[in-house]
Amino acid sequence: MKQFRPAVVQLRGVTKTYRMGKDNVVNALQGVDLDIHEGEFVAIMGPSGSGKSTLMNVVGCLDVSDTGEYILAGENVGKLSDDQLAAIRNKHVGFVFQTFNLLPRLNAIENVELPLVYGGDRKGRRERAIGALEAVGLGDRVHHRPAELSGGQQQRVAIARALLNDPAMILADEPTGNLDSRSSAEILAIFQRLNDEGKTVIMVTHEPDVAEHCKRIVRMRDGIVARDELVPRQRNAEHELREMIAAAASHVLQMPAARAASGAE
Amino acid sequence: MKLYDAFRSALQSLIVNKLRSALTMLGVIIGVAAVIAMVAIGNGASQSVQTSVLALGSNLITITPGSQTQDALRGAGPPAQTLTLDDMTSLKEQLGPTIKAIEAEQQAGNWQIAANGTNWNSRVTGVTEDYPAVRDWSTQSGDFFSDSDLRVNAQVAVIGATTSQQLFGDGDAVGQTLQLRQVFGQRARIINFKVIGVLEPKGSTFGFSRDDQILVPATTAQHVLTGRTNVVSSIVIKANSSDDMDNVTADVQSVLLNRHRISNPENADFTVTNQNDTLAALQGITATFTLLLGAIGGISLLVGGIGIMNIMLVSVNERTREIGIRKAVGARRFDILTQFLIEAIALTGLGGILGILLGWGITQVVARIPQASNLLLVITVGTVAIAVGVSVAIGVVFGLYPAMRAARLHPIQALRYE
Ligand SMILES: Nc1ncnc2c1ncn2[C@@H]1O[C@H](COP(=O)(O)OP(=O)(O)OP(=O)(O)O)[C@@H](O)[C@H]1O
Ligand SMILES: [Mg+2]
Repeated sequence: MKQFRPAVVQLRGVTKTYRMGKDNVVNALQGVDLDIHEGEFVAIMGPSGSGKSTLMNVVGCLDVSDTGEYILAGENVGKLSDDQLAAIRNKHVGFVFQTFNLLPRLNAIENVELPLVYGGDRKGRRERAIGALEAVGLGDRVHHRPAELSGGQQQRVAIARALLNDPAMILADEPTGNLDSRSSAEILAIFQRLNDEGKTVIMVTHEPDVAEHCKRIVRMRDGIVARDELVPRQRNAEHELREMIAAAASHVLQMPAARAASGAE
Repeated sequence: MKLYDAFRSALQSLIVNKLRSALTMLGVIIGVAAVIAMVAIGNGASQSVQTSVLALGSNLITITPGSQTQDALRGAGPPAQTLTLDDMTSLKEQLGPTIKAIEAEQQAGNWQIAANGTNWNSRVTGVTEDYPAVRDWSTQSGDFFSDSDLRVNAQVAVIGATTSQQLFGDGDAVGQTLQLRQVFGQRARIINFKVIGVLEPKGSTFGFSRDDQILVPATTAQHVLTGRTNVVSSIVIKANSSDDMDNVTADVQSVLLNRHRISNPENADFTVTNQNDTLAALQGITATFTLLLGAIGGISLLVGGIGIMNIMLVSVNERTREIGIRKAVGARRFDILTQFLIEAIALTGLGGILGILLGWGITQVVARIPQASNLLLVITVGTVAIAVGVSVAIGVVFGLYPAMRAARLHPIQALRYE
């Protein structure tokens, strides 16, 4: 059924080589073929150095491949200028990074507004930013600066920023890499909700637990796609989050009882 | 990116780095202030030179004895006393209505003056009756002497306002008598003069007070004070207009050459100086002076500009990651370029405005220095406009390279920058 949806991302024989000096050549991508369709939720896994981030950068038009073909939403991206790539990033791609990459001097609203600063109207910009922040559960933190937010909150600001221009896809490179399990669950729950609403999400991760929240797992090795499989049973982050909260609450409730018990001895 | 956002982000980043922005701006502030103050002082000097020259009377042609040729032998000797009152009379007759007025002067040196029980010392000059017309200088009380006074070597005097103040205080000097004294060992020469007029005050020219002097009829000076009869130290002509001066100069030349029976103008025993030429020469000097001062200011401005470039390069470097983030969310090269360029221009523009204020402050301080009291310090709208324009231009010139470096950064490399 998926096959009948249009392919958002079409990669054919994509290669990327980094040269540092004469002899030091790294073939980060060595011929990647990959199709990702609208509405998919894909995890990209693989050992360190296998080319996951490089692939994400090419898919997100932050970088261009050396050879091969990349068609994004029907458009061949290989021949575009830097500024045209910037426009595509602005309109069609929302990035979420492992290190959040928020501007430290700007507050949450100003950070989220950023894509509209470089494309779109100033009118209604602020309202949209606040709306996006509310959608990720940060309606009460809109004036905070990144330094005044927890890691999980910062990552949610980054997601709100990625969502603002209503892009075709969300690209997340190890979005939970710097977060504890609770914050990770919150981020994954947001991604799953976005995916349920029809958004394409591509996420790099090292953790199998995290990958099992996606619908499909693409495994990379040495710059190529080694395995590509569907997730048999997609885990639900929302449920897990609720269980975590319940467990934490019962833990707190048990505390006085335990203390009372130890005091009685 | 809209200009609004560019300005906002530029101002934000300047405010975040307050001290750094202020120090960087200081370079531009000092540069602009230097240019403003220096040019104002230069312009002021130029104006005061001009007013000084014109205060001697306008459209003047001065004839002095002695050659203007650069002959070393002749130049070494004392100037020949070759100009006479007859020369003046002859010029007056022959030039007729082609000139406005003419007068002759004989310097009689400094004399000790006694009047009213007070002593003073003043410069005494013998002049002819048209002195007020030539010098645009009338009396504030009493009258100037007339040609009949000259004919009879009358012992009358017209004195400057300062001289009057010194000798007679606030009282009326007209009608009073003053004594010119010269002491030779045991004997003293004492000559009485009747004050018939007091000149209007005029201030000083090139440091000489023009209000402390005594004017007597030229003939009286010749016969009674100096003994050098008929000889004058200069003849001064007032032309009808500035345009007329070259013609009059030529006429004077030919009349006097004829009278002195000199066929080759190069051997002339007198020199004709045209006030226009003097003004032009002086203006040339003050223009060079202004340019020099302006150049000194310009160099400080250049140094300020280099400071801007330096700090912008540091800023671009520090904010590499920010540039990467902005590019990742869709900033184009031009967006990044304008952001940093506007930041540089905001620095220099603000520095320029503060520099103008500082420059104005400097001129106010300079104006309070007694030696510069008659220096008119002029800050023109033009100077201000140029200063603002130049500081903005410096922002563009010195901000462009750092901004271009920022704009050219590769998004991935910028994002990975530690
Ligand atoms: N800018 C670069 N210059 C040189 N080599 C690079 C550059 N970026 C990546 N590489 C190399 O390309 C290869 C793939 O890197 P990439 O970042 O895509 O790996 P990854 O799969 O994301 O690894 P990790 O899981 O550690 O993030 C690595 O060997 C890396 O050293
Ligand atoms: Mg990586």
